[in-house]
Amino acid sequence: MAPVAYTECVSDQPTAHRSFASTAEDHLDDVYRYLLYVTANPATAEDLTSETFERALRRWSHFDPSRGSAQTWLCQLARSAALDHFRAEARRRRREQRLAEPDHGAETELPDDYGPVLRQALRTLSGAEREVIALRIVLELDTRETARILGISPSACTTRLSRALEKLEQKVRPRLVA
Amino acid sequence: MSPELTAALRNETPAAPGELRERVALIAAAPPPPRRRTISLRRTLLFGAPAAAVASLMVAVVVGTITSSSPSAPLTGQFARELSEDAATGHPVQPLDRTLAPTRAAAVPAPTRGRAQDVHTSLRVLVDDPDGLSAATQRALRTTRRLGGYIVTVSYGTPEPAEGTASLRLRVPVSRMQAAVVSFSDLGRILTQQTQITDLQQRLDELTRELRRARGNKARTQALRRERIAINRQAAYATVDLDLTTHEPEKKATPPGRLDRAVDDAAGVLTAELAIGAYLLIVASPFLVLLIAAYAGSRAYRRYADQRLLERA
Repeated sequence: MAPVAYTECVSDQPTAHRSFASTAEDHLDDVYRYLLYVTANPATAEDLTSETFERALRRWSHFDPSRGSAQTWLCQLARSAALDHFRAEARRRRREQRLAEPDHGAETELPDDYGPVLRQALRTLSGAEREVIALRIVLELDTRETARILGISPSACTTRLSRALEKLEQKVRPRLVA
Repeated sequence: MSPELTAALRNETPAAPGELRERVALIAAAPPPPRRRTISLRRTLLFGAPAAAVASLMVAVVVGTITSSSPSAPLTGQFARELSEDAATGHPVQPLDRTLAPTRAAAVPAPTRGRAQDVHTSLRVLVDDPDGLSAATQRALRTTRRLGGYIVTVSYGTPEPAEGTASLRLRVPVSRMQAAVVSFSDLGRILTQQTQITDLQQRLDELTRELRRARGNKARTQALRRERIAINRQAAYATVDLDLTTHEPEKKATPPGRLDRAVDDAAGVLTAELAIGAYLLIVASPFLVLLIAAYAGSRAYRRYADQRLLERA
């Protein structure tokens, strides 16, 4: 399906509204990719992306560009949505463990767009490790912005990234060599 | 990290699917809700703290201005002009205690003619030196005798070569009391002057009535007559306490002006406000520390729980 041009939908709207539409258009891929890394599940990532932009629309009037880029702000909202999702999932799992057969929830199933080696390696990483890779490598945010989204110090962010990459390389390199 | 891996991560990560783009397009097509006015903690502190400081300052200034402009204590050294009328007798009753401004001795109040009154005047007069003190004392004694009065007590002393005091208690006929005070005021510079008049006429009238009723009772009549004689004698002479001194009293500090008083009062109010603020801070600080610790703890725990959730994801 051809991508929808947001500017066509909202061309007659006020500036602030148009600004949100263009921001959504500019950063939709970033938010989706980030959530795909965090959840490692395309369907969940899509739902959470929609949820993120709904939240963003509600809070758009509170967005202050002087305090950070729209990309950072949207990633913070996306993280919050993902954490809410994980909490709800954890509660649901606990409830089901008490009452019935346990359900392991949404399986980690990265899309086929990834090569088999990378997909397999990414599946072995935790959500936190994939998250920092997504922010720093895929979205190319700097350390300060990434740390702000993660709620940790820049040095902790750097440490977490280096460990995640080391782990990823350990998984990827033997297979690439083979 | 190898560039190949970086390129793979960037290139192989898929973009958002078209269906998702449509969903987000629909979301973005809706108008954003208007911004609700919320008062954040930062804004509250940013505006609240200076506002509280300005309010405290204004309260201090207002209180200082009001208190400084409130009427001061009644003036001493100035007679009240009005005389209250005695409802029972219809005779004017002079105030019991009057203090004269130490400027004009002639302003001493005259006792009411035809009424028995106990008049008591105190004068404090500054003379130049011990020689002047001696001369003034002798002159006061002579004046008293000349006016038909007599000396009750005299105390004269010069403890230091250049300093001395003389305290005289004199009795002069009431009718010549004003002349005596005028004469004494010429002895030097008057420092203080006070006149007290107590009405005795009412008691005399009562004694007269009691004497009429006590006819035949000799002892009672004699006692009443003795009392009447004593009162008449008391009323016939005015008592003058005259203090002559070579020691000039230290000048009183100039009373502060209204602006000074306003500033002083405002400073006092500000100090009180600061004290109350400090007290509240001291009392509330343990609770504040607990609150801050609880807030920081809950944030740290939440962060930890989020991290655990992501690690398990």
